[in-house]
Amino acid sequence: MTDPRRARYVALFAAESRSLLAGGRRTLAAWFDAPEERAPAEELFRVLHTIKGMAASLAFEPLVAAVHDAEEELATVRRGERVPDRPWMVALERTLDDLALRCERAVAGEDATAPAEAAASRGAARDTVVRVDLDRLDALLEDLGSLLTARQELERHAAADGFSPVARSAVAMSRRLDALQDRILDVRLAPLAEVFERLPPLVRDLARQLGKDVTVDVTGEELEVDRTILGLLPEPILHLLRNAIDHGIETPEIRKANGKRPAGRIAVQARRERDSVVVELSDDGRGVDVDAVAARARALGILDEDAELGTDGLLGVLARPGFSTAASVTEVSGRGVGLDAVVARLQSVGASVGLTTVAGKGTVFTIRLPTRLGIVRTLVAAIGDERYVMPLTHVGELVPWEPEQAQQEGGRSVIEVRGELVPVLDLRRLLLFRGAPPPRRRPAVIFEAQGVRIALLADQVHGQVDAVIQPIDRPKGMPRWITGATVLGDGRPALMLDLASVV
Amino acid sequence: MAQRILICDDAIFMRTMIADILTGAGYEVVGEAESGLQAVERYKTLKPDLVTMDIVMPDMGGIDAVRAIVAIDPDAKILMCSAMGQQQLVVEAVQAGAKDFVVKPFQPARVLEAVQRVLAG
Repeated sequence: MTDPRRARYVALFAAESRSLLAGGRRTLAAWFDAPEERAPAEELFRVLHTIKGMAASLAFEPLVAAVHDAEEELATVRRGERVPDRPWMVALERTLDDLALRCERAVAGEDATAPAEAAASRGAARDTVVRVDLDRLDALLEDLGSLLTARQELERHAAADGFSPVARSAVAMSRRLDALQDRILDVRLAPLAEVFERLPPLVRDLARQLGKDVTVDVTGEELEVDRTILGLLPEPILHLLRNAIDHGIETPEIRKANGKRPAGRIAVQARRERDSVVVELSDDGRGVDVDAVAARARALGILDEDAELGTDGLLGVLARPGFSTAASVTEVSGRGVGLDAVVARLQSVGASVGLTTVAGKGTVFTIRLPTRLGIVRTLVAAIGDERYVMPLTHVGELVPWEPEQAQQEGGRSVIEVRGELVPVLDLRRLLLFRGAPPPRRRPAVIFEAQGVRIALLADQVHGQVDAVIQPIDRPKGMPRWITGATVLGDGRPALMLDLASVV
Repeated sequence: MAQRILICDDAIFMRTMIADILTGAGYEVVGEAESGLQAVERYKTLKPDLVTMDIVMPDMGGIDAVRAIVAIDPDAKILMCSAMGQQQLVVEAVQAGAKDFVVKPFQPARVLEAVQRVLAG
């Protein structure tokens, strides 16, 4: 087909079939609870029928046949020849998953076969959707970071005379750069659907493997976040879902005995909150046993003997490296292994994780994602030849430090800052740096996090930059307070230190 | 003046495709509706020369929408858009007052022929 409009139709098909199937899954999830209803059958028929019509228009023949078969199966219920029972609905659920996959394949196949046609139609009509290599988008972002750094230099020079032509040009350029930054970050957005639509079949497979009966409900898949953030999501989400199915959801027998419906319910719900997208993973299982976690934490000396463990502190304890790996905890806590890795991975892109749980009722993990990659105002510090950046939000001030000033208090090195004794941490020691010796006079970065003030010793401080922070693949053993990386204006890489975690 | 057409279909995909065919032939698409209820409302306010009507839609299906529109305007010119295998529904729609029908997937020439026929009739 050489219709130049075809690319647009295919893009419409991709978006519309996706949203129709997502709606169909929701309809089906609700139908499980009220199988005597007939409206869901009509609604699901409409979903299938619309997809079939679109697929036929694009001559996606195998897909048309598959949708037609599903329609026929549904027709047995619509005609009253079959009473929908649970196994039939489970089969229908699989059919919807399969159709979603087939739709994606049809669209992907279009891309594979399209180049010749696209080349032929180029010039005749412009496609409204183009595909861009992710590396190129990343390169664009790196350039943006360097430009932002260069802007700061320019602004510093321009500040010398605010009325000079240079200063005016700097202001004009600065505005354009802000707009450019918004656009570049916008281009990188991608819908959560790319991750979410794979979840229902995966959850069902996992549930089957683990002998559980689970329905899954996904909403908010149309919301968009940065591609890099999206790319990091599958692993932590799958991990949390696996934990929920394995340790949260009870067996059908236990659920029945506790007056719950036999099938557990897992919901993955996304919503927008100001600049963030909040993803909630909830299950209606047995909840985390807070007392068991507290007892274990006390035994390990993480929690004081007389301290209570509230919901606020629960995640902090569960996500401690090593804590949740103890099988005994997993058994009794209703939560599985490896939470520390999940939380660290999410934090590496600026996401935060929360946990609420009610014994016997279920657990909710709340992941708050930045929608855009962080451009963070940072302070650049040096140790030897190495450069590090730290977010300015926590930095209070810089004070000079010399070895003579060091005081000891309770076996710790402290420094007096404005009449207050502040503990000193040497970045060299934290990083196990073994290069040239430090200068005698060193800057101490005074920062405050979690209510604690600390003086962090660097070799030098190189001023502030707006850094585009990229998440990093952390090698084993890398400290958890190294949360990302950036490229400085001079092209040198710098690691991002999360001061809050250093505390 | 170009003749004014209202497109009713629950899929943006289908509405876009029909709109492309119709505007390409010089017709004016004055409005779109994505449910039977919306179709009736839009018909009242837009008073189009012709309506293309999908059969399977949420809220109110296409056939009920035909009945409601014909009740408002007995001269309404409605062209049904049906899928293969919906003969029974097409007959029902024609009995309800639809003037003609086309079958999906759309072939532009067929659609335009049917539109001309209904407008002339």
